[in-house]
Amino acid sequence: MTHYGPRKGIAALMLAGSALIAPPALAQDSDTLVIARSMDVNSLDPSRAFCDTCQFYLTAVYETLVTLDPDNQTLVPNLAESWEVNDDFTEFTFTLKDATFADGSPVEASDVIWTFNRLKNVKGSPSFLMDGLAGAEAVDDKTVKFTVDAPNSEFLNKVSAPYTGIINAEVAEANGAVSDESAAEADQAESWFLANSAGSGPFQLASYSPEAELRLSRNDSYYGEAPAFAEVVVTQIQDAVSQAQALETGQVDIAMQIDPDTAQSIRSPDVTTEVIPSYNFVYIGFIPGAKGMAEVLTPEVREALALAIDYDGMLDFTVGGNGEKQAAPIPNGFPGTAGLTPREQDVETAKQMLADAGQSDLKLVAGYPNDNIYGVDFNIMMQKVQQDFAAVGVDLELKPLTWAVWRDELGAGEWPVTAVYYAPDYYGSGQYVAYFGMIEGYPWVTRAGVGNDGLVVNPAQADLYAKALASSGDEADAAYQQLGEEMMKDAIIIPLVSPNLVLAYRNDIEGVRYSACCNLPLAEISRN
Amino acid sequence: MLAYIVRRLIAIPFLLLGVASVSFALAQMTKGDPLAALVPERMMSNPEIVAAVKAQWGLDQPLPVRYVTYIGNLLQGDLGTSFATRRPVATDIAERLPATLELVIAAMIIGTAIGLTLGLLSARFRGTATDGIARIFALIGSSLPIFWSGLILLYIFSVRFSIVPGTGRLPPRVTPPPDVTGFYTIDALIAGDLSLFWQALAHLALPAFVLGWAVTGIITRIVRSSLIEGLSQDYARTARAKGAPERTVLIGHALPNALIPLLTILGFTFAYLITGAVLTEAIFAWPGIGSYAVRAAASLDYPAIGGVTIVGSVAFLLANLLTDIAYAWANPRIKVH
Repeated sequence: MTHYGPRKGIAALMLAGSALIAPPALAQDSDTLVIARSMDVNSLDPSRAFCDTCQFYLTAVYETLVTLDPDNQTLVPNLAESWEVNDDFTEFTFTLKDATFADGSPVEASDVIWTFNRLKNVKGSPSFLMDGLAGAEAVDDKTVKFTVDAPNSEFLNKVSAPYTGIINAEVAEANGAVSDESAAEADQAESWFLANSAGSGPFQLASYSPEAELRLSRNDSYYGEAPAFAEVVVTQIQDAVSQAQALETGQVDIAMQIDPDTAQSIRSPDVTTEVIPSYNFVYIGFIPGAKGMAEVLTPEVREALALAIDYDGMLDFTVGGNGEKQAAPIPNGFPGTAGLTPREQDVETAKQMLADAGQSDLKLVAGYPNDNIYGVDFNIMMQKVQQDFAAVGVDLELKPLTWAVWRDELGAGEWPVTAVYYAPDYYGSGQYVAYFGMIEGYPWVTRAGVGNDGLVVNPAQADLYAKALASSGDEADAAYQQLGEEMMKDAIIIPLVSPNLVLAYRNDIEGVRYSACCNLPLAEISRN
Repeated sequence: MLAYIVRRLIAIPFLLLGVASVSFALAQMTKGDPLAALVPERMMSNPEIVAAVKAQWGLDQPLPVRYVTYIGNLLQGDLGTSFATRRPVATDIAERLPATLELVIAAMIIGTAIGLTLGLLSARFRGTATDGIARIFALIGSSLPIFWSGLILLYIFSVRFSIVPGTGRLPPRVTPPPDVTGFYTIDALIAGDLSLFWQALAHLALPAFVLGWAVTGIITRIVRSSLIEGLSQDYARTARAKGAPERTVLIGHALPNALIPLLTILGFTFAYLITGAVLTEAIFAWPGIGSYAVRAAASLDYPAIGGVTIVGSVAFLLANLLTDIAYAWANPRIKVH
């Protein structure tokens, strides 16, 4: 047994060493765009997907009837070359342009109807976009008319959401997709959509490996202007620092989730970073329906707690000043927000209000997801809330949780304070009322009331919301502003920060922008 | 010996069934929303969607029914469909396991080579500066958290000096070799593409070193202490008395005896790394089984948790068996029954 010796070890070391001197492969293939991202894909089926990554994937592969102009406010034609809306916002008629799917077949009214029916009936996460859809009629091959059961001036905005991208009905049906009322049980196409696509967009799905790589290839028979890149690869890189490193070495062309702090550490002269405002925001939510809180977390106490928060300090603390304050749970720049003024910290009033409510030595627990979202570390954010509450004599115990446990405890009303985030699905303020509004049966009423909706419902909001949806322009803006004011009065959702977004890309890349509906429009990107 | 191996192999399926049952029970008992991976946070308060999803995934069935279905499927070789990736768990694992195995095997080779060398040097030059330096190097490797050493080394060798490429198994612009073994280095050689082989090896080098360095500490310590013990034994004294040089005593006599404890450590380290290479995988964007396991656990992806548990158990059981066999081979005095 004397044949064991260090020689084998040295050989292995040499092997490892030789790898270190191998030339790194940094060749820039001008035809492939590489994007670094921590992907959150839950599905690639347009009717079931619901994630930030899905937004730009679907935009590249499936086309919507209308889309959002780079000004992030105006709806512009996409598959529909024109549209008409009746006076009470219940009938929407779209005229389709001469477009074709990737397999060469024409995009017709029947595909549009099939897609919207499937989106509604499959009962997937984005199905809410078709809430209220009452009828669909193909006037002719290129004209389609939709009817909704109540005035909805936001229907047009909703059909700019990437989840409403039009699917090639024939191809999808051949692969198990179903659009009628039985879709929730009968549709078997989700796994097919993980490896294939059936849209009319400039790109097609080439391959997908979960949490590793999403590969798109150019749709060579695209009827419109061909995109600059033949291939787009989204490669999974988990954290901001690693994404920045990959960008600096040229391994990737664009890094999507770099926070402003990390952006400052980038030294490479070959990288461009732009810090721009986003429509995302993080907030704390109060849950008066939590165990033993009905008598404690009254509107006055919630308002006092909201006044205790140092919003300017929060901005510095969480994102180093790279963000905006936000008044109501509707992002700055969306309809109705121009006239809203963010809350200011007022420690004395907060203390007085707490004393008047007999809650001078209040003890609360905050349960929140232990996560870092849009560059905001929730632990750091909640420590700041804890400090600010302490200044008015409120003792806040912090309970960072995994998502699964957080969801479980939220549903059970385990604690009265939480923290979450929101990114828009399309440009329009209605989605925020439909989510944060204190209207019977709405999501945050269920959350904040924990089975006791009466505790939090604000009767003024249902009428205001109906009014907003039955009008447009200034009239709708005014209604949304009132809704914003009412939601501030509720003091259930307290927006803390709207973090800025960093666009980070190699200098030779052009056309990178942030879209409120679609995140990053891939077809607009090119290399110099 | 052969009968022993066959007996051990026959026991494996029964042990796995037990493991699968325990992991099913534990996953159910774990606190958390079972729909975490199935329904996005924004939609979790929507009763219609929740009901549709529960029906679609069989979560509306009572627990015993789900258990029987799960075990029944397992017996037919069906690990189920992952809640998060919406693909068969077996497909996910088959795609990710080779990446981890390639990384772990490379790390074990590097870790063992360095650990063995340092252990030998330490024992040979006990108490000198060489001993001190070797031990400090090994100690640093096992003490530094991987998320730190990984990032720093990546910064130095990749970002700052471009000695090695960045993260991932291959540059994103490069198409992987045709899948034969799932090891990109080997598959590239099989395909006869030397340039692809070097690229794969260059991508493997740094993460394998980081992971290998982390296991160097324990290997160095075991080798050093076993050698020092061996050098004071009667057989070493006899060898010296017969005029053998110290080098021969060390490598020819003490080292073979030091290999036995080393084998135990190697077997367990290997099995542990199969599911324990999570941090390295995260930092180097290595699409392996470790990151899959962590994601599955955090989102209560029951089918994926079950699948990873079974794979991890197989790794442990096989590593155990191989260690026992290697024992007998390294030391003929040990008999396996």
